[in-house]
Amino acid sequence: MIGGRSRAGWLSVLVALASSALLLFLVGPVLALVGVGGGAGAPQLLHDAELRRVLGLTALTATGATLLGVLGGTPLAWLLARRAFRGRALLSALLDLPLVLPHPVAGIALLLVLGRESVVGGALLAVGLRVVGSPLGIIVAMLFVSAPLYVSGAREAFAKVDPRLEGVARTLGDTPMRAFQRVTFPLAFRGLLASAVVMWARAVSEFGAVVVLAYNPKVASVLSYDRLTTGGLADALPVAAVLAVLALLPLTALRTLRRDEGRA
Amino acid sequence: MIALSGVAARVGAFMLRDVALTVPAGGYGVVIGPAGSGKTTLLEVIAGLLPVTAGRVTIAGQDVAGVPPEAREVALVYQHALLFPHLTVAENVAYGARDAAHAREVHARLGIDALTARPVASLSGGERQLVALARALARRPKVLLLDEPFSALDPRRRAEVRRIVRQCHREWGLTTLQVTHDFTEAGLLGDVAVLLDSGAVLQAGPPAELFRHPATASVAAFLGAENIYAGVVTERSTAVDGMPRELEFHTSGLVLHAIGDAVPGPAHAVIRAEEIVVARDAASGSARNRVRARVVELATLGALTRVVLDADGVPIIAALTTRSADELALAPGMEVTANWKAMAVHLC
Repeated sequence: MIGGRSRAGWLSVLVALASSALLLFLVGPVLALVGVGGGAGAPQLLHDAELRRVLGLTALTATGATLLGVLGGTPLAWLLARRAFRGRALLSALLDLPLVLPHPVAGIALLLVLGRESVVGGALLAVGLRVVGSPLGIIVAMLFVSAPLYVSGAREAFAKVDPRLEGVARTLGDTPMRAFQRVTFPLAFRGLLASAVVMWARAVSEFGAVVVLAYNPKVASVLSYDRLTTGGLADALPVAAVLAVLALLPLTALRTLRRDEGRA
Repeated sequence: MIALSGVAARVGAFMLRDVALTVPAGGYGVVIGPAGSGKTTLLEVIAGLLPVTAGRVTIAGQDVAGVPPEAREVALVYQHALLFPHLTVAENVAYGARDAAHAREVHARLGIDALTARPVASLSGGERQLVALARALARRPKVLLLDEPFSALDPRRRAEVRRIVRQCHREWGLTTLQVTHDFTEAGLLGDVAVLLDSGAVLQAGPPAELFRHPATASVAAFLGAENIYAGVVTERSTAVDGMPRELEFHTSGLVLHAIGDAVPGPAHAVIRAEEIVVARDAASGSARNRVRARVVELATLGALTRVVLDADGVPIIAALTTRSADELALAPGMEVTANWKAMAVHLC
């Protein structure tokens, strides 16, 4: 018995040590970044017009990508959660593909399809829509790499809603669309919102695909890289610190949503 | 009226097969069967939530093939209530209600006025079932489908709610089909009983008929018949001038006298425990069947006492009133006589 307790004690110590080491590794660099660069970052935000413009563009393009992702991804997620059809597994695998592709490779694939020399890119240019080197290109790159996260999360949110609840709503007079509006959507809403936040946060932090499709106009990740390569660590630190602090906002929102979801 | 003929439906690997049943307009049907026999699936088929792969479902004389659930005038109450968790009790009840006054009346009848402002998450299992019932009744459907709707209620409340549902059923002219595990409930409520097993109807008819004349030994066993014996039927006399045929049923070490029209040959004999009379006197009673047996076990369940007897290796179970058992001063090891009438032996 005493031997068992002693083994359990050692196990607890080992678990605590391993957990602390990983936590320190994950949080340490971010804390160092905010600690070292944060002092300069806040005042720089006030007088660095480029930084403010870039942050605005980043938020705007990430929001645009998220809206498009929600618009197309919600029906797709519902379909994957609720309907059994031939090829569903294949479709799910295809949707996950952008997540496992190296992001510069994703950018190259997009360039191939939407570049000036491509059929689609050429057609878009003909109607005045330039993808490469434009905010539209940034949105496209962000959408490509982050939409699968939304679809996956939204699918899970729909799957959590008991389909029999929709059945009960149908027997109480609802059409399928009305049952969706009154039962499925309200119950899945927090999950959908959380998935949209994850998508937005992922879009904001995207670098690889964006830099291939649209180095300019710059988004925050590209600007921090640009300042690191041109001005060194001293120039990049304040920008990076501001970005790290801003990244905490959607993360905090996400945790709050998930906590409330757990209570409901 | 609800009528099903040759209905088949599939849920994953499970299938309903060739289901036929009729609940007349304004009738109260009960579906009984073991867990996994397809009772809930049957209700979902009638509600239009599951497609049929064969056969015909008619509601109020109309073939409802292709009619969506919202147009079938049915309301379904699941065993686990399935209340909408994002709505309050009042909002749940009002969800499908056609008019607010009727919803209020249902609240009052089921005695759930005190629950109306409460969130669904705070309700007990029994309260949830009451709210689910109210939600279905507030819709005022033509057909009410109930899947073990009283299972989470305590016995006193269950009897009361059963009475209220029966009253609503009668006053509002509903046609009701209820799934239950409770044989007593089936007998109390049902005009028609349907016994389902492995997705197929084993027997259907008035509950008393099912209990007294089960079609097979397995039906008898499921309906709780205590004495089921395998053996052979032989004819003792042919029917003369309206008198029933006398039969003998031979099982290991026991010959039972029976009457009826069973075909000679291998069969099962079913005797319900309450048909067996126990006496201390060897010559007591005028019943056609009389055997000496030894008391093996006594179990008192309130007003009834279950007595297990042994008649030369053949077990016989009798149900006596506890008062009778006390008067007889029965005790394990005691020699007694078990009597039962020939007409109490059902051959199938």
